[in-house]
Amino acid sequence: MTTRPGRPTVLLVVASFVFAAMPHMAAMPPWIVAMILGAAAWRAAIAIHDLPRPGWILRIFITFGGLALVVAYYGTLWGRRAATVMLCVMVAAKLSEMFRLRDARIVAALAYFLIATQFLFSQRLVLFVYLVIGCWLTTAALLQVQRDADDVPAGSTIGSALRPVIRDGLAIIALAAPFAVVLFMLFPRLASPLWGMPDEALDGRTGLSDEMTPGSITELFADDSPAFRASFDDGAPPPRSRLYWRGPVLWRFDGRTWRRLDIASRRADRLPPAEPGSWSYTVQQEPTERRWMFALDYPVSAPEEARVTSDYTLVREQPITSLIAYDVISNPLFVDSPSLQGWMRRIALYLPEDSNPRTRAFARSLRERFENDRELIEEVLAWFNREPFFYSLQTSPLGRNGADEFLFDLRVGYCEYYASAFAVLMRAAGIPTRVVTGYQGGFWQAADQYLLVRQSDAHAWNEVWLSGEGWTRVDPTAAVAPERVSEGARSALAGGAGWFAGEWLYAIRNQYDRLQNLWNRWVLGFDDERQSSLLERLGLGELSSAARSLALLALAALALIPLALLWHALALAPLGTDPLQRRWKRVRFRLRRAGMAPGIGETPFELAERVSTRLVNGDELLTLAARYSRLRYGGEASAEARTSFFESARRWRPEPLNPSGSRASKNGQHARSDHR
Amino acid sequence: MSSRGFSKKPAFPERWNAPLQRAFARWIRRRGPVHPPLVLGYRQIYILPTRFGWLIGLLLTAMLLGSLNFNNNLGLFTTFLVAGTALLSMHAAHRNLDGVRIAAIGAGRTFAGDPLALSISLQDTLGRARSGLVVEAPEGSASRGGRVDAWQAAELEIEIPTSSRGWLKPPRLRLRTRYPLGWFQAWSWFWSEQRFLVWPRPAGSAPPLRMAGRNADRQRPGDESDEFHGLREWREGDPLHRIAWKASQRHDTLLARQFSRPERGRIMLRLADAPAPDIEGRIAVLARWVLEAERMDLEYGLDLGSMQLPPGIGPTQRTRCLDALAEFG
Repeated sequence: MTTRPGRPTVLLVVASFVFAAMPHMAAMPPWIVAMILGAAAWRAAIAIHDLPRPGWILRIFITFGGLALVVAYYGTLWGRRAATVMLCVMVAAKLSEMFRLRDARIVAALAYFLIATQFLFSQRLVLFVYLVIGCWLTTAALLQVQRDADDVPAGSTIGSALRPVIRDGLAIIALAAPFAVVLFMLFPRLASPLWGMPDEALDGRTGLSDEMTPGSITELFADDSPAFRASFDDGAPPPRSRLYWRGPVLWRFDGRTWRRLDIASRRADRLPPAEPGSWSYTVQQEPTERRWMFALDYPVSAPEEARVTSDYTLVREQPITSLIAYDVISNPLFVDSPSLQGWMRRIALYLPEDSNPRTRAFARSLRERFENDRELIEEVLAWFNREPFFYSLQTSPLGRNGADEFLFDLRVGYCEYYASAFAVLMRAAGIPTRVVTGYQGGFWQAADQYLLVRQSDAHAWNEVWLSGEGWTRVDPTAAVAPERVSEGARSALAGGAGWFAGEWLYAIRNQYDRLQNLWNRWVLGFDDERQSSLLERLGLGELSSAARSLALLALAALALIPLALLWHALALAPLGTDPLQRRWKRVRFRLRRAGMAPGIGETPFELAERVSTRLVNGDELLTLAARYSRLRYGGEASAEARTSFFESARRWRPEPLNPSGSRASKNGQHARSDHR
Repeated sequence: MSSRGFSKKPAFPERWNAPLQRAFARWIRRRGPVHPPLVLGYRQIYILPTRFGWLIGLLLTAMLLGSLNFNNNLGLFTTFLVAGTALLSMHAAHRNLDGVRIAAIGAGRTFAGDPLALSISLQDTLGRARSGLVVEAPEGSASRGGRVDAWQAAELEIEIPTSSRGWLKPPRLRLRTRYPLGWFQAWSWFWSEQRFLVWPRPAGSAPPLRMAGRNADRQRPGDESDEFHGLREWREGDPLHRIAWKASQRHDTLLARQFSRPERGRIMLRLADAPAPDIEGRIAVLARWVLEAERMDLEYGLDLGSMQLPPGIGPTQRTRCLDALAEFG
């Protein structure tokens, strides 16, 4: 029994760790990534070039240095990201003292753990590939560690040493998969968590922000990743012009930035009734680390663990840290705040003093021409359309008098610019106005009947308060670029948009999202409810929990039967890796099938001598056995000799002597003629 | 060996007290044959997780709880995949021993105090190659990992300690495997009813050999196979081919070549002569003398009072003498 890992073992263990840590590293600061990769490369170099080992002082320094750096960077170890980064760094430090098989085993076991923890951050479809390959590599690494422990001689090159364990590792994963699937479907789920997930917003995967400063954020519009998907109970979605997915409502304006009004996020006093004409749909929302949920105007009730705020936004009690699905009914005919309280009106009319003088003057002149609010708004929208305003993401940030600059000088911008400037103009004209952020439109996946809303569909629009009509949606962007609403951000930007890849890539991404959608629904969305319905369909719905556990065990046992069969079929014994032995094994197998079972401990030649008298082509068997012995136990054999043996062994079939002594089958004669 | 592995001290029942041990042996015996030759089957194979296996179990529990709590389906799937791997690993460990034939236990001779090398011959009876087979002795010694090819045989060597001369019954051994992942250990108990002879440890210092009837100067006539000694006058009866024709030409008489063999020292090693207070000490001295005599190329015999061995020389004589010493008393 050996206790030191060989060179191939070290390399495979290091590789499995690096692979398991890869998605984690994507979310780490580059210097931590450099540290981890450096440790891995160093350990590999020690193995390859037989460099001296690090002394214990250095190892302690690495371990505690790594710990200190992570704590210094994250400020805490409490939280998913900091904890997993810590784990990665610690395992990397462990590599510097991985000189015993025991340490190699622990590193590999932690690689499994790293794979599992990655899914706390994302469970996208591509990560399933990561799961499978990661488990495969890790299992292969553990196989190789055990081979070292069992003194199995390694191949001469690293490649030939690792080939058998890579193959066996894949076989093990393939055989464990059916078991995992059955367990996945039947294992009881928790309806509610035992402990909460720590709050944090770290990875920048935050989607829509809860404030808006025109020009500060354009990343979102370049992000083609899905924000959420919606499937409508009636099949087809409402017309695009109604697809305003309501997010944070912004009231407070300080001259540059729009912010939420805390008091408006209290629970709504009055919920819209679910009338005919309402839309009923299911939203499957990607994690955002924030609490916003998205619904069309106006949600009639809140999903579980969420509330409808008084400005009719859905807010969850906990941040959305994993994919969630919720059912919503929206009533578009609802009138929001037929009367406006005085203090609210004041907030909705507030503008910082001495800002945007030109806009204020313009508002005054408009007010003189139009008594009626609605007419005034119509005129402004027409003005936007008439004057040379352009819709583009390539624009410049605005200063203190942003509305002035935008309305009279710049005139190039995107939704945030229009919504902000429009709101300033309206407030200056005495019309209560607020900004609503959210998403607009979406891509209709007709084949799978769902609407895919991307981050790049993020939008900002306004709501003005009109007496009698309450808060009414006005989208100034639509006045400038109607195609933004009718066809989406992509078409509105056609030509000028450098970051959108070609059409074909976009089409592929749409297709890929269909897979992702199925994945989300059937794999990630498989919770205790779906499980119950599955069990019901299996006829286990009525059982008590004890009986259900028994049934689960029975089903798991049943799943083992095909597993066992498969296992025997594949014969995952330590197969001879030697192609020569495999060929000879096959010859022996054919003999056994023909009723001439090889005896225990019989050498190839003894076997051939014993059975050759019972075969028509016994002399060929003798030749084969002699050649096999020579190739296997003799000195270095030429490649031709091996190939020709392979060929003959492959073709040879036993032809038993019939009692009558007649010649054997046609097939056998064929083999003979080949052989001679 | 296993003390350096992750399973530090396998729970050998030898540590238990004697009655429990005997009961344990009876229990094992009831489950099936335990003396070679035997084929390992379902009833002889025991299996338990290794220390590393328990660690994996702990890790799996943590992964399961975390994934369940956060309803993290991919985390759950990873957990179940590794759990399935563990199950396969258990099955594979069992399968790696199932159908192995422990054909025989053999051993050479050794002096008391030196380790005795047992060689255990294994065969595969089911047409499967096995790897990672290790034989362990209760004292913690273990063989190297061995491999048995399909239908073939292989031998594993294990050294067990010896303390005193005489017949040694090897301890209960176990054949174990941690193939393929080291998460589970499958093992089978077996022990030999055959006993092995351990020679007495030769005394560290012994008085020089007392030559008995030594006549080093005497020559006795030999034949052509011996070395040429000289010439003498031919006598009737000497064979013709011994006549030294060339030398005879220079003399009046015929000369014959003469051959001789130098007489080996011959010695009788007597128990009574060994200068030691107790019988074991004397036997140790005798053992030393046997080795000395062999080294000095003397013919030696052994006289233990109750039995005598006639003088002789060579490995056979040596073995015969040492065996007699080992068995004496």
